[in-house]
Amino acid sequence: MMLAAQAFAQDQKDEFFEKKIRPIFATSCAGCHNAKLKVAGLDLTSAEGFARGGQSGPAASKLLGVTSYDETLKMPPTGKLKDEQLADLRTWVQSGATWPGATATTQAEPRPKNSREFTDAEKKFWAFQPVQKPAVPATKDRSWIRTPVDNFILAKLEEKGLRPAAPADKLTLLRRVTFDLTGLPPTEEEVKSFIADHSPKAYEKVIDRLLASPRYGEQWGRHWLDVARYADSTGNDEDHRYPYAWRYRDYVIEAFNNDLPYDQFVREQIAGDLLPAAHQGELNRRGIVATGFLALGAKALAQKDRTKMFYDVYDEQVDVVSRAMMGVTLACARCHDHKFDPLLTKDYYSMIAIFANTRDFASKGSKLLFRPLVPKEDYERYTQHQEMVNRKTLEIEDITDEQVDKYTSSLVPHLAEYMLAARRVYADNADTAVVAKETGLREDVLKRWVKYLKTNDKAAADPSLDEWRAAAPEKLADVAKAYQQRYEAERVDWTKKMDKWRARFRKMTAEKNMPPPPKPKFEMEKDPFFFAVTFRGPFSVGKADRDKLMPEETKTRLAQLQTELKTLKDTMPPEPDMACAVEEGDPVDQKVFIRGDYNSPGPDAPKAFPLIMTRYDQPPAIEKGSGRLELAQWLSKPENPLTARVMVNRIWQGHFGDGIVRTPDNFGKMGERPTHPELLDFLASSFVESGWSVKSMHRMIVLSNAYQMSSDIPDDTMQNDPDNKLLSHFARRRLTVEEIRDGLLAADGTLDLTMGGTLQKGFGTDSENSNDRLSLRPEDIPRRMVYVPLRRANLPTLLNLFDFGDATTVAGKRPLTTIAPQALFMMNSDFITARSKNLATQVMKDSPGASARLRRLYLKVLNREPAPDELDAGLSYVTNFEKKFAAKRTQSDAWFSLCRILIASNEFIYLD
Amino acid sequence: MSRRAALRAAACGFGYLGLSDLLHAADNPLSVKQPHFAPKAKRVIFLFMHGGPSSIDTFDPKPKLYTDNGKPLPIKRPLAFAGEPPGPLMKPMWDFNQHGKSGIPVSTLFPTVATCVDDLCVVRSMVGEGVDHGAALLQTFTGSSTFVRPSMGAWTLYGLGTENNNLPGFITIKPALSHGGSKNWGSAFLPGAYQGTAIGNAGLKVDDVKGEPIEYLLQKGFTGEEQRYELDMLQNMNRRQASLRKNDPQLEARIQTFELAFRMQMEAPEAFQVEKESEETKKLYGMDEDVTRDFGWQCLLARRLAERGVRYIQCTHSYKWDQHSDLFVKHSQNAKEVDKPIAGLLKDLKAKGLLKDTLVIWAGEFGRTPVSQGGNGRDHNPYGYTTWMAGGGVKAGFVYGATDEIGYHAVEDRMHIHDFHATVLHLLGFDHKRLTYRYSGRDFRLTDVAGVVAEKILS
Repeated sequence: MMLAAQAFAQDQKDEFFEKKIRPIFATSCAGCHNAKLKVAGLDLTSAEGFARGGQSGPAASKLLGVTSYDETLKMPPTGKLKDEQLADLRTWVQSGATWPGATATTQAEPRPKNSREFTDAEKKFWAFQPVQKPAVPATKDRSWIRTPVDNFILAKLEEKGLRPAAPADKLTLLRRVTFDLTGLPPTEEEVKSFIADHSPKAYEKVIDRLLASPRYGEQWGRHWLDVARYADSTGNDEDHRYPYAWRYRDYVIEAFNNDLPYDQFVREQIAGDLLPAAHQGELNRRGIVATGFLALGAKALAQKDRTKMFYDVYDEQVDVVSRAMMGVTLACARCHDHKFDPLLTKDYYSMIAIFANTRDFASKGSKLLFRPLVPKEDYERYTQHQEMVNRKTLEIEDITDEQVDKYTSSLVPHLAEYMLAARRVYADNADTAVVAKETGLREDVLKRWVKYLKTNDKAAADPSLDEWRAAAPEKLADVAKAYQQRYEAERVDWTKKMDKWRARFRKMTAEKNMPPPPKPKFEMEKDPFFFAVTFRGPFSVGKADRDKLMPEETKTRLAQLQTELKTLKDTMPPEPDMACAVEEGDPVDQKVFIRGDYNSPGPDAPKAFPLIMTRYDQPPAIEKGSGRLELAQWLSKPENPLTARVMVNRIWQGHFGDGIVRTPDNFGKMGERPTHPELLDFLASSFVESGWSVKSMHRMIVLSNAYQMSSDIPDDTMQNDPDNKLLSHFARRRLTVEEIRDGLLAADGTLDLTMGGTLQKGFGTDSENSNDRLSLRPEDIPRRMVYVPLRRANLPTLLNLFDFGDATTVAGKRPLTTIAPQALFMMNSDFITARSKNLATQVMKDSPGASARLRRLYLKVLNREPAPDELDAGLSYVTNFEKKFAAKRTQSDAWFSLCRILIASNEFIYLD
Repeated sequence: MSRRAALRAAACGFGYLGLSDLLHAADNPLSVKQPHFAPKAKRVIFLFMHGGPSSIDTFDPKPKLYTDNGKPLPIKRPLAFAGEPPGPLMKPMWDFNQHGKSGIPVSTLFPTVATCVDDLCVVRSMVGEGVDHGAALLQTFTGSSTFVRPSMGAWTLYGLGTENNNLPGFITIKPALSHGGSKNWGSAFLPGAYQGTAIGNAGLKVDDVKGEPIEYLLQKGFTGEEQRYELDMLQNMNRRQASLRKNDPQLEARIQTFELAFRMQMEAPEAFQVEKESEETKKLYGMDEDVTRDFGWQCLLARRLAERGVRYIQCTHSYKWDQHSDLFVKHSQNAKEVDKPIAGLLKDLKAKGLLKDTLVIWAGEFGRTPVSQGGNGRDHNPYGYTTWMAGGGVKAGFVYGATDEIGYHAVEDRMHIHDFHATVLHLLGFDHKRLTYRYSGRDFRLTDVAGVVAEKILS
């Protein structure tokens, strides 16, 4: 090769190029890398293009790598070049890669810049302007104004010559605001007392009561959990449990209940672990828990390309922070500058830098980071003690295993004999004792073989025995022998593995300070026959029988160890509280990754915030640490153009169904524009003025006349404001899945209002086909839905059915559908049946007359009194049902049926 | 004006929408929609071999592996799942024979499928990126191993709607709960109406599933007559309520979903009554033998669903094909469980005239390495593996693409999973670049920013 390279004279080189190289470029590369398309910035149709190279550098330096298919980037993508072609390319590159007719090498294409001039339109885009508190507009009709919100709404309506809808009636309003603020219906007593209260403050009193109720935090905490894409497992591939995720969930609920200032809420979720605790010298427990916001995203733990996995985690964190708190889709700038918004790839990687300097994993491997919520010394004392217990337990197991193993060794050579003997018993009805005597096999073991091999239940039968069962009588001996051989082979493997472990374990226990290596576990899937025979079936030894195998001295030793273990367990310090959280990581100098590929690092990307948002208030450079603290402070500054706007918009949406910006997670160019921009800014500045009090915002909104309008849609509104963008009436909305479920449990009095804690059991994940991978069914749990743990990879059917979303990405708004399977749930599910039966039983027991019963049902389910025609219709339904199906049905069935009708009704599920 | 607003305005003038209107109304997410151009396939049946069957032991013979058996891997090993260094090249444990008029070689693992080889379009150049199961499944079914994206079944339903409102439009039979679980048949940011409906899961036996194939489908207490009586009262109540609230079509829409649900529960269970098929048919699918009974049931159910207009059906052969060791015994057993049912399905579809517009896909999440792992197993190989398709618009008796001489990398007509998705969508009548959904300010598609239709395999 070297000789060839040296021997080339210029014209020979040219000829070689024309004959061998140009055709390769022309046929295999130029489809994409031409002057017009320039995919990856590369043009391979001209000498200039080749010399300029592409985004990842000069073409000559990359050519051999990518065509060899040894690198991540493989070219051409349609298939590897032929070996001769590759050899030719190599020759050409080694001889200098000269392209005939090329002039002096031109400059390589400029690499991505760290900044660019924003256009005027970008600079003027509404969402990046500072918030300025507008004057409250005057309106012609002043009588309609209750809070400043009304000025903004009415002014717009008047401008278009529209009138706001009439006020909603009292009970409609009560149901509306009770569901909105607490996710539950008003109780019978609450309905009655509100009807009876004629004071002008009646409604305000209700608001105060609802905002003070712990149920409020559960409802509004849930809204935030949607935004924070909260779930209790990693999802993606392995779906490992986040065993302490619930602490973050409880933190969120508590934050809303305590009206934690939103700026503080933001700071804690980004950098709570770096903020001082309430009392000096204490651990900031709450702060650590709050960073669960960053820690609880979906993760692909099995990803073999670890670097890619880490950067996917950081990407997910940039995505959740930018959409949840800033209302921009910064993650779109991973591979190229944002296509629509003035967000640069540099901005993206500067934010990535912050998370690349933050730790999410306990080690370089895939172990999730769990942070203790106790001082370091306490935690260490606990883990050391736990390790001693673990070591002692293993020591006992080790001794027992050895004895059991000796015993099994004596049986293995007779495996085939046992199978054949057992068959005589279960198939030919021979007597076990007789067969044992004849064959010289152990009777107790033979009995277990019979039990294992004989089974009539096909479903429960071990498929690894199919071959045995299907064997023709004359083949039985051979088949049994084959089973024995396979068993012996597997046993050799397994023994080798165990011996290796045992040697390491003994060495480590001898050198007391080393934690014992993890003990190998035989995976049932690997060999079900071996597994069953060795650990469950004929060759296994029950706890009771183990003693019999032990020599006296071993027994004594074991007894001593057991006593020691008991003492250790008795003196175990309390288990420390833990959290799924993040912490400061090792320093990393982040680069821009060209086209998102970490194999192509570009310019430096020092920790910083998006340029377009920092024009008014250039934050100082981040010198040390991850930069999370600085990010938290920058986000929660009153001057930040987006933080307050995004949150008040979420609050508004929670009450009106749609936000002032109807794309709550995207305030960028592709998002919608605010329907009432001045109102949005008024709310945002009031929010900041109130000390970022979420409850003050609720009050300002729900006390407005705008919120108290009827949901009737007048005909003229249909023409003039079909999408209700002017808010000419209240938007009727379907209850969420939580409101449906919790609301019905509340209606029949079975809702368990215990707060907090976790219902999720266990750690890690489960075997591939295990049903433990499913989320718990919310139908089976009487707690509020927000406390039902969710396995991301397999959410409950009920949640999928009623548009819960996927708990994996920021979901500021749930798209609602109305589909037939939802109706099936109402008609057929055990859950609805149970609610209906409970309600029927209750009203039949408590109320003597049919009318009284019906009134109570209306109160419980629809939170109002029935109209006279409804009363008539309901009563005749009960009577007629009973009459019509008298042969099989009773009066209770009729009431039960009527309860289900009320529950399934549109009026229950649509909030007026 | 939004679609909903348009519908409202219409409702204003025309009163109630009838049921049939509703099935086609813009507001019904499942109403039948026209694709971009005339489709070759109207529906898909995806036979998924979870775990990763070995291509070089089934449909991609590599003579070099026989001659070089035991020699070290001649190339640099790409990213592998196994931690230990690669073992030597290992020859296939089964013989290959040519079959049919096309003479396409199939190993003795699939003797019955081999008799259908003239109907197959064997793609030997599949390429994916996931070296672990989770990433590979997610990419196979959603296009992305990293982000949560709608599954290809959900895209199909979103694009085409459903022809049978009495059944879900996207059904997955005994899917895996692991390796992404329901994300593999989920709708992600597409509306929930497009997600797959699971019939049981891979951890259950068919006998556990048959009783109530779809959750909430069956009324367990009331008779049909009693339930209709109850429903009439409900609808009266709902109509009364709607009459007091003008101009809101969502109220009427929900009234109609109850009618739809009522019909669904009357008619859908029939589709699941696989037992009603003739003995001869059941035998064709191997339902008369223990070893093939379960997958036979899945395949036969798939045909019944296809006949009834279900758009996208998946049958998962549970997580069995992952032979890091014991390749010979386990692959033999696995192939035995599916060989006859798959061939039965192909023959039955053909006989019923369904194969021409049904696209059948057979695939694992990746193939397996030509080098041995521990002497009797093979590691994961997403760099070059085989899937096959049949029916709906693909060339029959055709081989597409090739791997290198040891079967590690695809080198000829490489079909990346994005290309595979682009091709499937093409067969269903879509330009994959135009089947998009706006979410979070971006138009998303199944093929992300990639995908080239494999023109050569189109019939």
